[in-house]
Amino acid sequence: MRDKRILYIKHLMLLINIVANLTPAVLIYITTSKICNYYIARSFMGRVTALPQNPTTIFAGTAVLLTCLVISFFLREFLYTDQYQFIYGSLFFDFITSFVLMYVLNFNYNGILFWVFANIIYYVHDKGKMVFMLLSIIIYVGTDFEFLSINYSLFSIYDYMGYYDFNTQQYLLGIYNMLVSLNIIIFILFCIYVIQEQQGIIEKVNSLYAQLSQKNNELENANEELKQYADIKEKMGQTKERNRLAREIHDTLGHTLTGISAGIDACLTMIDSNPQVTKKQLEVISKVTRDGIGEVRRSVTELRPDALDRLSLESAVGNMIHDMTMVTKAEVLFTCDAENLKFDEDEENTIYRIIQESITNAVRHGKATKIWVTITREDYELHLKIQDNGEGCTDMKKGFGTRHMIERIQMLHGTVNFKGDNGFLVDAVIPIRWGEEYD
Amino acid sequence: MKQITKHSILRFFAVLVFLWALILSGYNICQHRNPIELELGMFAGSNWDVANANSYVIIDKVIAQFEEEHPGVKVHYTSGIRKSDYSEWYAQQVMKGRTPDVSMILSDDFDQLVSLGVLENLTELMQKDMEFDASEYYTTALDAGKYKDGQYAMPYETVPNLMFVNKSLLNHEGFLMPDSDWTWDDMYDICKRVTKDQDGDGRLDQFGVYNFGWQEAAYSNGAQLYDEEGSESNFTDQRVIDSVKYVKKLSDLNQGQNVSQDEFDAGNVVFMPLSFANYRTYKTYPYKIKKYTTFKWECVTMPSGPQGDNLSEVNTLLMGISKESRHKELAWELLKLFTYNKEIQMDIFRYSQGASVIRSVTNSPRAEAILSEDTDDREQVIDTALLDKIIEKGIIVPRFPKYHETMVYAEGEMDKILSDDKNVESTLKTIQRNVTSLLAQ
Repeated sequence: MRDKRILYIKHLMLLINIVANLTPAVLIYITTSKICNYYIARSFMGRVTALPQNPTTIFAGTAVLLTCLVISFFLREFLYTDQYQFIYGSLFFDFITSFVLMYVLNFNYNGILFWVFANIIYYVHDKGKMVFMLLSIIIYVGTDFEFLSINYSLFSIYDYMGYYDFNTQQYLLGIYNMLVSLNIIIFILFCIYVIQEQQGIIEKVNSLYAQLSQKNNELENANEELKQYADIKEKMGQTKERNRLAREIHDTLGHTLTGISAGIDACLTMIDSNPQVTKKQLEVISKVTRDGIGEVRRSVTELRPDALDRLSLESAVGNMIHDMTMVTKAEVLFTCDAENLKFDEDEENTIYRIIQESITNAVRHGKATKIWVTITREDYELHLKIQDNGEGCTDMKKGFGTRHMIERIQMLHGTVNFKGDNGFLVDAVIPIRWGEEYD
Repeated sequence: MKQITKHSILRFFAVLVFLWALILSGYNICQHRNPIELELGMFAGSNWDVANANSYVIIDKVIAQFEEEHPGVKVHYTSGIRKSDYSEWYAQQVMKGRTPDVSMILSDDFDQLVSLGVLENLTELMQKDMEFDASEYYTTALDAGKYKDGQYAMPYETVPNLMFVNKSLLNHEGFLMPDSDWTWDDMYDICKRVTKDQDGDGRLDQFGVYNFGWQEAAYSNGAQLYDEEGSESNFTDQRVIDSVKYVKKLSDLNQGQNVSQDEFDAGNVVFMPLSFANYRTYKTYPYKIKKYTTFKWECVTMPSGPQGDNLSEVNTLLMGISKESRHKELAWELLKLFTYNKEIQMDIFRYSQGASVIRSVTNSPRAEAILSEDTDDREQVIDTALLDKIIEKGIIVPRFPKYHETMVYAEGEMDKILSDDKNVESTLKTIQRNVTSLLAQ
């Protein structure tokens, strides 16, 4: 994001610095030749505390060094704008060059530092800007002519200005001081501008952050609503299921039982007068009862999970685990050493549901990545363990899921324990019913 | 479009860099291709304001010898600069950055040139040079080139002040030439006796002494007016008071009449302080015939005060090396040839008017032989052993920045003592107070 105004300021600053650096060099050169032409070198020397080495060298040196700074600036600004190694290298080069330049002019002009630091400040980021602004002021004060001339003998351009008559002196001094002040003012302007720009960026970041946290809040609310919606949906599903069950019971059992009770009532009235008809009637009732049982079985079958309908428990659990690993990132390890076990449908259902519920819980609440499901048989008991490596839960509230599990197990006269200190463990023990025939 | 701009910028800079490189390398080649050239800064004529027809003899000899010893090195000098213009010429060279590698330094300029950093500190070069032994020089001569702790110039030629004696008048009044250890009292006695009105017009026309001031008296009375740094003055020292009183006593003999140079030239004054260079110049042909032909004259040491010795001011011509010289080792060799080579230093006696700054040269039979060469056999020649003593123990006038300013003031006040009959002690106290505040500024 290049700002044209900053570029203009830089150009202006470079121009001022070129003029301000050339002023002492040219002044010394011209004044020296004038002094020599008027044969007052001896008395001039009596008035000064130090003399420059060679006016020609100073002029040439200043010109060469300024050329270097100009080249460095244009290369950095227009040719190698995206090569940061070159930019930092050239900034360092400028810094060294400016010191040589100040040395050549015996620190009569040290405003060139502001030019160098303006460039540095432009390219460094954040707090670095402030550090370099401070540094530039420290170095500027440290290289002050009056300060340095206490300990070192430095030639002064004011001595050379002193050669001229009062009016000319005033003009020269005025112009020179104006250049020096102008340079400082423009540097300050530059700093303010850069700071403002930086402030703009900070404000932008702040507003973006505010927007982000607002969105985050909204998202959380939405999540909460979704949860509530899910609960409602579940409840609705239960209600629907209950309604269906009620309807089913009403349609099948109710119908059959009504028929049976009506038939039995008829048999009771007929049994003494016409046992033969009663017998036939009872046969009808028996058939209706059997049909009813068939109906009930059909209803129950309809209520059973699909997989269990078609497959063995082990395969069904395997399938369910496979599906689970497909949709979640969790790895589920299933081992079962209780082969050839014949379970009743309610037992199969319970085992299947418990495994399903446990895995769901492990993934949803524990954020587990590994889940071990083991089914073992010990004497007349079936041990079902579902262990995960998730967050666990030390203070466990009995939610709908676990309460449901407990109810289901209790219906089979088994026990279930939950342990949440190392991952989460569901440990269920179910007694095995032997030889108990359902139908 | 952008590509073209980039190219044109690059081409512009390439041309710029190329031009600079060309200018700088061309300048460097010009500087180095020529044989090494040492610039020598010197003035024509004598440093002692006497006529000198042989001012280039020693220089040319030194250059010839130096160029022979150092093939490929040329020594160049600008001829025809008079001593009165030399200070300005040298200042211009310094300002233009063309300070000669080796140059003569006028004693008035020395302090300023050192404090401006124009002259190289020679201490290191002296210590590095194994063949060089600074103790060969007269201490006073060497000290003239010292500034604070450094040696910034080497002495080339030295000239002590002597007392000029009109021998004819002295003998006529019945006195013999004073010995070299004569005193203020001896001088006062002679002055008192010779000061008289010869033609009877009521005005004195024969005098004892001309131009013997309070400074000469103070030097010969062991007084030191300032400390070395020029931070303190000692005008209320008893030795200074005695000196001023003595000069006043001498002046009182003249009964308020002013003695002039003309009176001396006419042969009516017995004593006048004079530099050794004057002695040399007007004692020998051809200048001998131009001045002081009506009487016989001789030189003797200054009379000693009660607390001092027969000593006087010693002036030394210095030579230094520019701090910006690119060939300091060579410059040092050239400087040594001027100031340390015994053969060249002997030539000072031959072609110049001063004395050598090397002890063994001034104090040699050859020097004495040269001094007596052109003088009449009957005349007494100044003894080189005496010269040796005067130079060795001579007084170097301090050259701190405010020296001239304070001395001009003190001189004016002293004149008032002599002319207005002011009290010596109280005037000296005033001088001391004012000079102290001048120095403190």
